Amino acid sequence: MATQARQEEGHLLALKMKARAEAAQIHVSETANIGKAFHYTVDLAKHRGGSTIAAPGLPASAEAHFRELCEPKGLTLLTGNLRSHMSHIHTGFTVADWGISETGTIVLDSSSEDIRIATTLCEIHVAALPRSRIRPDAYSLEGDLDPLMKQAPRFLAFISGASRTADIERVLTIGVHGPLEVHLLIMDDEDAS
Amino acid sequence: MIRTPQDLKTYRNELKKAIENAFLRDTLDNFSSAYKESRAAAFAGMDLESLVREIARSKDASVSGLEELFLTFKVHAESAGIQVHSAGNASEANAVICDIARSHGVRNIIKSKSMTAEETFLNDALEKKGMHVTETDLGEWIIQQRREGPSHMVMPAIHLSRGQVAELFTRVTGSYQNPDDISEMVRTARKLLRKAYFEADMGISGANFAIADSGTIGIVTNEGNARLVTTLPPVHVALIGYDKLVPDLKTALRILEVLPKNATGQIISTYVSWISGANECAPGPKGFKEMHIVFLDNGRLALARNPMFRQALRCIRCGACANVCPIYRLVGGHNYGHVYIGAIGLILTYFYHGKNNARAIVQNCLNCQTCKGICPAGIDLPFLIKEVYRTVLKEDRKRPMKNMLLSKALKNRKRFHFLLRKAALAQKPLRKDAHFIRHLPLFFIKEQHFRSLPALAPIPFRDQWERLFVPLENPRFRVAVFGGCLVDFVYPEQGRALLELFKAYHVSAEYPTDQTCCGLPALMTGEKDTAQELAIQNTRAMRASEFDFVLTLCASCGSHIKENYPKLFGDQPDVCEEVSKLSNKLIDFSSFMVDVLEVRREDFTDTTSKATYHAPCHLCRGLGVVDAPKSLMTSAGLDCLPMEKEDVCCGLGGSYSFDFPEISAQLLQEKLDNAEASGAEILLTDCPGCVLQLRGGVNAQKRNLRVQHLVEAVAERKKKDT
Repeated sequence: MATQARQEEGHLLALKMKARAEAAQIHVSETANIGKAFHYTVDLAKHRGGSTIAAPGLPASAEAHFRELCEPKGLTLLTGNLRSHMSHIHTGFTVADWGISETGTIVLDSSSEDIRIATTLCEIHVAALPRSRIRPDAYSLEGDLDPLMKQAPRFLAFISGASRTADIERVLTIGVHGPLEVHLLIMDDEDAS
Repeated sequence: MIRTPQDLKTYRNELKKAIENAFLRDTLDNFSSAYKESRAAAFAGMDLESLVREIARSKDASVSGLEELFLTFKVHAESAGIQVHSAGNASEANAVICDIARSHGVRNIIKSKSMTAEETFLNDALEKKGMHVTETDLGEWIIQQRREGPSHMVMPAIHLSRGQVAELFTRVTGSYQNPDDISEMVRTARKLLRKAYFEADMGISGANFAIADSGTIGIVTNEGNARLVTTLPPVHVALIGYDKLVPDLKTALRILEVLPKNATGQIISTYVSWISGANECAPGPKGFKEMHIVFLDNGRLALARNPMFRQALRCIRCGACANVCPIYRLVGGHNYGHVYIGAIGLILTYFYHGKNNARAIVQNCLNCQTCKGICPAGIDLPFLIKEVYRTVLKEDRKRPMKNMLLSKALKNRKRFHFLLRKAALAQKPLRKDAHFIRHLPLFFIKEQHFRSLPALAPIPFRDQWERLFVPLENPRFRVAVFGGCLVDFVYPEQGRALLELFKAYHVSAEYPTDQTCCGLPALMTGEKDTAQELAIQNTRAMRASEFDFVLTLCASCGSHIKENYPKLFGDQPDVCEEVSKLSNKLIDFSSFMVDVLEVRREDFTDTTSKATYHAPCHLCRGLGVVDAPKSLMTSAGLDCLPMEKEDVCCGLGGSYSFDFPEISAQLLQEKLDNAEASGAEILLTDCPGCVLQLRGGVNAQKRNLRVQHLVEAVAERKKKDT
């Protein structure tokens, strides 16, 4: 019974996460696992005319799998030393650490410089988020974030949509500095390998 | 280069030019309406009042321990590899940052938006040392190219049209930019700025939070530029005001919950970056960032010790006080602040940029209280603005003649009332009819012609009182009436209408004749001593403990007595308690009729009239009375037709309308246009000050509207037999 209640709660959180993220112009999809998320990313990059995907910080086996998917499509998978690729990252792929349903926010530990470069200098950012990592609000993450902040160096990012500006006549315009599109894939299981 | 007028004459000339800028007015008007809606949607379902209280409380706690918070922050940040500096003033901060840049051989700098860097004019200092600085926030980049300061704390280029921006882009890029293709302009900026990021040797940011217990800084942006500024170059310097220190993450999250909602009506800003320590950075020394944080004092630590002004440090820089200000809406940020804009700007300018820059702008406040109602940290902005004005006058040692005359007249009630009676006689030859003055005396120059001024009543209410007084046996309530100067000496008919209603509802009234001016005009001109004396005189005169209520028909007197009387004696608990006896008994007309007497539709005649309602600033915000007047109108058979911007100031603001007639005239014009557009025949309000302004406007502009105090309209409709 308790499990069922938890599942129910998780489902509701995911629904709210989706609605709030979409309100922030994030493209939200649900997907079964990380393998499916790789497929999605490869298709998206290809479809948008990209030639590279930057996916730093993945376990070796996942990285190998991702590369296998990229190669036949003519896409180059970049996994490290992203500074030398700064001006030609098309799609950045990361696994998000948490989601905040109240604001549709993706929380990403960006302490690795490559993660920061992959998510700030790309044209499209795809974030895969395990459903079980969605929390109702920022306060409910305080207990997780606070210890991380106390283990410096640390760079934590809250991302709630694509880079935007309204600085010219208050007209909302997407993509002034960072990604032009953000995609959120809510994954059923947490198995990132 | 920012040049802020230092005297009223120059300032008024600037204001006149700004009012004629139709683009600016339309833009700010549209923004103000859109903001109101999106803010309400963002806060929907939240208990905003308790959030505001909580933020005020936690910011106060931080402000009282800034130096300890700084030391805690420093320990944690330093152990995480950050070099922490403290700068006493702007030039010290700039010097520290120039030194850091020089020691790393920096040529190119990228910057994300920082009001603190605007405060110190950091770019000028860096450029003087031969460094090239690129602002990366689009709005900041635009104004940097134009060599202007921001005109809004959150939207720095809101004063510019797409045409002006396209012209700028064309000049900078050398190729034509279509003003109607904003997306293309943004793409151009993206390309230009990418290059600047890649070439930069140093990044400079501000911060929204400095979290002491972990040495973390938090930066909030929509564009994502701060992430690039803090990631790409090997050196990062953050310039942060001491006031951004908070003890822990929880406090920061609470502010974050409110900041974007109150700033732009967004649920959350797109990017929040939390940086703890010197992070990985390939080109940096040993693969890590060279990171510095410079904390700026520049008067903050002294401000934190000032019992009156310390609450200004609660400000979280959301810019909302500008968004809702009726004056900002007319003249824009370049005419409503120095570096910091809006109500908080009028205050902080004095502390951060000196009295010369504050002198003229700080007088430009209607005291309409709108900013106070929107401030997420509960800062009493209008009160502090008047306190700054008072401080400037004191330091200048130049009390304007009108201040000295006003104080001298007001302090002695008998003399004051003698003068008013004399004036009523003297104006006889000037009277147009029973109600208005035909020829304004010479000192009222032609700028005052936008409204007619009322004639003083031949017999003031206090002199009619003895004849009107009817003793009642077993009254339902015993009420002392506080007239206020306008009801007493200009509109005694409003007082008489009140007495008719009292008689009908079996309420006993008394008009204690030792009462005098409530003191608000004195406080508004910075004459606090006089305001204090009047508060004590009135408290004694009104003998509040002998009555169930003290009722006033004047919203301004009412909110001044209710809220300011105790505040005037914040540091004298005994006097504070005494004046509170009066404050606690105070009630406005509509609340008394609706909540106390519980009047019903059947008490009034069956006729209905088309009316609309102007909500006086000091009633709807000052006393927090919003629904009662409309409920009373409905009971009295007055159709309350909705009026756009019913709660925006009518432009009187006491003596404000004499000091800034152009703005007053503009606000009055808009108000009367909206009233006419509502389709009403009668414009009602419940403050004699608003009646003065609105009726004067209708008369001078020959509009087809009847302006009445609510008490008159209600008394007219009361059935005689109940």
